[in-house]
Amino acid sequence: MLNEERIILMTRMASYEQNEGRENVKIGNYFRSDYITVQVLKSIVSSAVVFAIMFGLYMLCNFEEFMQKLYRIEDLIAFAVDVLTNFCVIVGGYTVLTYIVFTWRYASAKRSLKKYYHNLKKLNSLYQETR
Amino acid sequence: MTVLLEMKERLKLIYSKSEVFLIPLMKFLMAFITFNTLNGELGYMTKIDDLRIVLIAALACSFLPVGAIILIAALFSLMHMYALSMEVALVGLCMYLIMYLLFFRFSPKDSLVVVLTPLLCTMKIPYVIPIAVGLLCGPSSAVSVGCGVGVFYLLQTVIDSAPNIRTMGEEDALAKVRMMIDSILANKTMLVIIAAFAVTVLIVYLIRRMPVDYSWTIAMAAGALANVAILLVGDLIYEVNLSVGNVLLGSLLAVVIAKVIEFFRFCVDYGRTERVQFEDDEYYYYVKAVPKMAVTMSTKTVKRINSQRERESAPENRGGAPRQGERPAGRTMNTGRPAAGRNGTPSAGRTQPRNAQRRGGRNVIAADTAEADFSGESENGYEEWQ
Repeated sequence: MLNEERIILMTRMASYEQNEGRENVKIGNYFRSDYITVQVLKSIVSSAVVFAIMFGLYMLCNFEEFMQKLYRIEDLIAFAVDVLTNFCVIVGGYTVLTYIVFTWRYASAKRSLKKYYHNLKKLNSLYQETR
Repeated sequence: MTVLLEMKERLKLIYSKSEVFLIPLMKFLMAFITFNTLNGELGYMTKIDDLRIVLIAALACSFLPVGAIILIAALFSLMHMYALSMEVALVGLCMYLIMYLLFFRFSPKDSLVVVLTPLLCTMKIPYVIPIAVGLLCGPSSAVSVGCGVGVFYLLQTVIDSAPNIRTMGEEDALAKVRMMIDSILANKTMLVIIAAFAVTVLIVYLIRRMPVDYSWTIAMAAGALANVAILLVGDLIYEVNLSVGNVLLGSLLAVVIAKVIEFFRFCVDYGRTERVQFEDDEYYYYVKAVPKMAVTMSTKTVKRINSQRERESAPENRGGAPRQGERPAGRTMNTGRPAAGRNGTPSAGRTQPRNAQRRGGRNVIAADTAEADFSGESENGYEEWQ
């Protein structure tokens, strides 16, 4: 006989699996440290590429100024230090932000999966009851 | 209200029946309007400013994921920029790459927001976006709204700089790049609007999640006020020349549209809020359950009683009471049969539901079904305290 409660639970769980659950299950397959490390590495690469783009545009705009600095070693060193500082600020800041966001995302995905598994157990117990 | 609820149920029924056709159709319309607006606003490359190409691209988008609209729209805009000047296209490409690499990573599923924000900015109704996004999406969507505003002002800069760029020769390539970058970075209006929209999204999101009555209405009002306040303060500090009348009217319109969104997404009856308390082995639960407002649609069933059949069937029923489920003879009946609820469990044939109320001659049912909530958000009108 059809069990209405069981059907409702199964429908909701199927809907979860097909929507946000899919992403959460993917996240849940990782250990916390692995997931966050992968995301942080991706962030380092993407922020480094963004810095390269921004630096390229800056050089295009201020090429004449750079050529003047090129002949004095003190200016060149100061310029290199500036560039490195900016690189560290952009990449470091973005990495910290990524760490915070993806730590929170991992925790919420785990919380959500915990509820999902709890519902799985409940579904199992509903099956046991009907046997 | 009952008429509106009935209309909502009808719309939901139509949507669920023809979802297969409606979603591609809506994607097609969205893509068509986006590409057409791009061609209308930029229109420097005459080859792609063609209705046939727009139609083909929009048709392709109707079968592809929503992200394809962003990709093709970005291609369209880059081609227009390239037709204007290669340097402008280079700056445009760099801006898109920066947005993609830095910001779009946090909310990759908000493609619709990134498309809709510049579109509504072009239509001069941008204030709807932060409130609607705060109501329907998460806090990370503030990034997508910011990207959308950035795209709009990038295109606006291209349009504004186009007459100057056309007068420049090929030898002024660096000057063109410098002019574009300076115009984008010096655009204080863009920065003020990005800040206002991001704060509005966060305020609306935080308030609508609070376990207070009318949280959605409070959220949209607070969001609209915060938006107006930040824009006016930004206007005073940076002298961005925003029209106060436009901001106020736009915010008012945004609240009206947000109320419509609330009606479709979060229609609950706070008057019948229930507070229950129970316990299990580990916890005490203090639960506040707010019933959703739903209305049963009256279905008209026309039953023709053939006189011959009536005569045939008459001896069978003679002497016995009518069986359960049989209707009395009549030409037209308004059965008032309740439609299937949201959870797919048709309540027809059941006894009157527990919380059923009569309103204006129709059945209003409190659909207080407990939903399995995996996301941690109480979208079904349930707020769990502990």
